[in-house]
Amino acid sequence: MTERPQIVHPMLAAGTRYRWDKVRDQHQLVFPEGMIVLNESGTAIVQLCDGRSTNDLIATLKNTYPGSEPADDVHAFLGQLADRGLLRDGPAT
Amino acid sequence: MDQLPRPLALLAEVTYRCPLQCPYCSNPLELEKYRQELDTATWLRVFEEAAELGVVQLHLSGGEPLVRRDIMELVRGASRVGLYTNMSTGATVVDDTMLKRLHDAGLDHLQVSLLDTEPESNDRLANARSFDRKRDAVLGAKKLGFPVTLNVVLHRQNLDRIGEVIALAQEWQVNRLELAHTQYTGWAFLNRAALMPTREQLAHAHDVVEQARAAGTRGVDILHVLPDYYFEKYPKACLQGWGMVSMSVAPDGLVLPCQTAREIPGLEFPSVTDHSLQDIWENAPIFNRFRGTDWMPEPCRSCDQREIDFGGCRCQAFLMTGDVTATDPICTLSPDHHLVEEALQEAQRSDPPLQFRVMSSRPVAG
Repeated sequence: MTERPQIVHPMLAAGTRYRWDKVRDQHQLVFPEGMIVLNESGTAIVQLCDGRSTNDLIATLKNTYPGSEPADDVHAFLGQLADRGLLRDGPAT
Repeated sequence: MDQLPRPLALLAEVTYRCPLQCPYCSNPLELEKYRQELDTATWLRVFEEAAELGVVQLHLSGGEPLVRRDIMELVRGASRVGLYTNMSTGATVVDDTMLKRLHDAGLDHLQVSLLDTEPESNDRLANARSFDRKRDAVLGAKKLGFPVTLNVVLHRQNLDRIGEVIALAQEWQVNRLELAHTQYTGWAFLNRAALMPTREQLAHAHDVVEQARAAGTRGVDILHVLPDYYFEKYPKACLQGWGMVSMSVAPDGLVLPCQTAREIPGLEFPSVTDHSLQDIWENAPIFNRFRGTDWMPEPCRSCDQREIDFGGCRCQAFLMTGDVTATDPICTLSPDHHLVEEALQEAQRSDPPLQFRVMSSRPVAG
């Protein structure tokens, strides 16, 4: 089992890119030999992977979507991305 | 018939020129016949059309793509139209300056080939000094922030060192390691008797990889697909069938459903110099011919597996049986399955010298 260190400031790993596919009308995360189709909430999370801390990311989502409790979804989704090697830890702010 | 899928991937073989002579190259045998190369403007148009058609991933390859003097412009152009750009290189013509330029041009992912774990054995297989430059390219690319895949083609002459290959990939800290068992088309088909491994070698390789995975691969994603000829009952779904998810453009502009399809005589392939990529994808006879299952002869035609493996590999079917529509002989249900057994036995019996990939217009003796 591959162990991955905890990521505090999630950013997309080198070579992992978000793109909007205008031909298929879908959000995508593209990386070597692979692609994930993102839904709206996955896209919102990915677009906040700019080096802010995970806690700040969750806080931003709560602000954008009042009444939501995104923490569990955010941790689960980021965990999946991390398991696939698609995230790296940005510098501490 | 279902709505036509749009391609996800385009393989752009921008040249057949290459300083290495790997004996399993999938390029054609008579390389001198194909010296014609598309110009910059045409490739840029192809990339634009690919993006409009829905291609997500572009694979720049060859030969050696970096021998093209316009390669930076090609990378920039592909990047600008939103394609995710991968490049496969033998890395002998690259240095840190060139890597930086590729990075600035927008290249997303670099794949470096390696033939064996030591300079002597690597260079012998490539028939060229190349090990040091490959290593330097991997390390340099990592420093620049590229994701790097190390691609090692496996066969009888290096398979016993698969454990050392994994260790080397970990030492160099590549992101991905592709352990790619030789596919017997092109030059690999010519050298098949020298390259085919034994069943024992393959079983050992499988064990080594599984042990490495269990021990933790230290950040290296390992892709290891065992070849189909020993252990499988049914063939692999090659490219999900022709004309389903990918297409290939050869250096002279010929568009192929599969990069090795051009070695099948009697097939006609369209050219980007005459048609748009969309027109070809949707309307070219060669792209439609093997879509769906109507083209299949028995036993594929009424087989439950037909929409899972699409009858296997067309190129392999042709090379072994002479009939491009035949069931891939790998399949245990194929009436030609004995041809696989015969090839395996021939490979056990003989150890011919390797014929290295050279540019020649004379037919290469088999």
